[in-house]
Amino acid sequence: MNGVLSRALARAPAAAALLAAVTITWAALPTAGAKPGIRVALVVAVACAVASLAHLAVGDADIGGDAFDPLLVRLVAQAVHIIRALPWSEAMIIAVLTLEALHHSRPWHTGVLGVALLAYLFAAHLAQTRTRLGALRPQLPVLAAGLGLLILAVGAAALPRLHAGTASELLRGLAVIAAVIAGALALPTTRRRKSAGGS
Amino acid sequence: MTAAGPATGAGPAPVPRPSVPVSPTGPGAAAAGQARRVSWSLSAHARGLLTLALAGLVIAILTGRPEFAGVAAPAVLLLAGWRVRRPGSVTVAIRVSARQLVEGQQAAIIAEISGHGDLAVQASIRAAEAFSAGPPADHPAAADPAPGASLRVPFQAHRWGVRRVGRLEIVLRDRFRLSEGRLSVDLPRIDCHPLPAPLRGRIVLSRLPSRLGEHPSRALGEGIEFAGVRQFVPGDRQRRINWPATTRSGTLQLNTFTAERTQNVVILADATTNVGERGATSQDLAFRAAAGTINCYLAAGDRVGLVVYADRLSWIGPGLGRRHFHRLMDLLLASQRGEEHAAGLTRLPKAALPPGALIVVFSPLLQPRLVEALRDLRERGFSVLVVDVLTTGPPRSRDRVAGLTRRIWRLEQQAIRFSLTELGIPVVHWDGQQSLDEPLAPYTRRVMLTGRK
Repeated sequence: MNGVLSRALARAPAAAALLAAVTITWAALPTAGAKPGIRVALVVAVACAVASLAHLAVGDADIGGDAFDPLLVRLVAQAVHIIRALPWSEAMIIAVLTLEALHHSRPWHTGVLGVALLAYLFAAHLAQTRTRLGALRPQLPVLAAGLGLLILAVGAAALPRLHAGTASELLRGLAVIAAVIAGALALPTTRRRKSAGGS
Repeated sequence: MTAAGPATGAGPAPVPRPSVPVSPTGPGAAAAGQARRVSWSLSAHARGLLTLALAGLVIAILTGRPEFAGVAAPAVLLLAGWRVRRPGSVTVAIRVSARQLVEGQQAAIIAEISGHGDLAVQASIRAAEAFSAGPPADHPAAADPAPGASLRVPFQAHRWGVRRVGRLEIVLRDRFRLSEGRLSVDLPRIDCHPLPAPLRGRIVLSRLPSRLGEHPSRALGEGIEFAGVRQFVPGDRQRRINWPATTRSGTLQLNTFTAERTQNVVILADATTNVGERGATSQDLAFRAAAGTINCYLAAGDRVGLVVYADRLSWIGPGLGRRHFHRLMDLLLASQRGEEHAAGLTRLPKAALPPGALIVVFSPLLQPRLVEALRDLRERGFSVLVVDVLTTGPPRSRDRVAGLTRRIWRLEQQAIRFSLTELGIPVVHWDGQQSLDEPLAPYTRRVMLTGRK
């Protein structure tokens, strides 16, 4: 009915599909030198990505599948029901992060993967709700803060190690988590103060 | 001939209305707002962010790699900014931009929503059969609670009839789109008229009733079309003297003109059988052709009546004007009954058929009683023309018996059409794709002779 709007809304599923492919490829490569189990994680990630994209494509459309429908239609309806029932998108995120964790430490690579995963989540959300990109504007400041923390975390991970050992690694990890939580707690407080001052 | 089967409309011409239930949210009416409960749940987006945050933090702790905690950071921040302010109910008022539609026409549902506070609102139509929904309408989240949101969701009607558009689904979302409140509202019924088939040419009878109109008749009168020259007699208008002819003949000669008359046209739409592909069934074609013909003759100032031949015979006598057109369309919509094989009548009532009327029939000619009724009409001296709207037949099959049956069926159909033509009822075929002018061309180029054969 509205061609321009339809085209704009059709871009979100395409973007989600592209980002899913990019994240899986980015997390899987290089396969050589990775820990065992990478193939299983890769297969799971691809399967989940395909299912989640199928979910986006099918949407809420009525497929049918009544008792009087042909067998093929009932099978398709059953498959669609399974696709809609299970959290494929979430499973894909876990599989992709597992793929990345099965490789040796490469902080900048993981940081890029994090950004791509976040972009995939937003693209999938826009496709699912058939919303324009402008609807995400209120989240931009928080997203910018989150990306800042991500860069800090990647930078901290990329610093040369002072003392080799499990304790120092754990300490560094905990420090970054603490920074993230502190940032998360500080953000709403600042907003509340601003709004209180404004009123 | 005897009247058989249930018949209604005996006596004065009835004015049936489609059976549209009276609803406070009727089409076109500005409905009063109604409070609706909202059911809230965690959004799929929030579930995705939660998964990313938890998976990132768990892997960061298990592997001791801080970069994974960084991956979780944006998701954690977005989740931390989640403020829960959920209204338990919102007020929704629904109205439709157009009261009546024609097949293929677009309209919009206008939803006035209030009580949603600062939440973003999205409205989309879950369209019922014969409708398609346009893209959803959005109202963005506001910094301050908004007094109300007006959302316009377009839709398109694809098939004639009186039907509900479907359901309007409304989703409320917070600033970060982490929780979703859903509610749905039944949409009102819409009158969708059949798309009038294109028709420009008109069939005009040779004998017209003495009522002022736009068609030049054979009789002389006060029209503007030149008929001939005759000798002047006292009392004639001097302005009509033909001076060249007067000079040649030496006596006063006068121009004569044809009288301009209207004609009565009765459209007979056959709704007893409904065969063919969905969206182009015989009934669809018959009603579209009827709508086009009614439109065409009313535009010419003719008086048009309508008879819907179904299980219950219903009709509206000939009339004029835009209002009459809508009455006729309402009668067509009221006869929407699906696939029924009715008994019908073999003799149409006198009240529905003014003397000397042109009767244009749109039918697949599958109902023997209607064929009988057409023969009766011809015997009563009416000028009848049949537009055959049958576009389908028994399916082709390799089976010998099925093939033989198909051939017999086709021969029967040909015999029916031949017998009507022999009686002086022309039968033309219309496939629903081309203009109605093409099959009717032999009859619109010259006047159609009236009288018994």
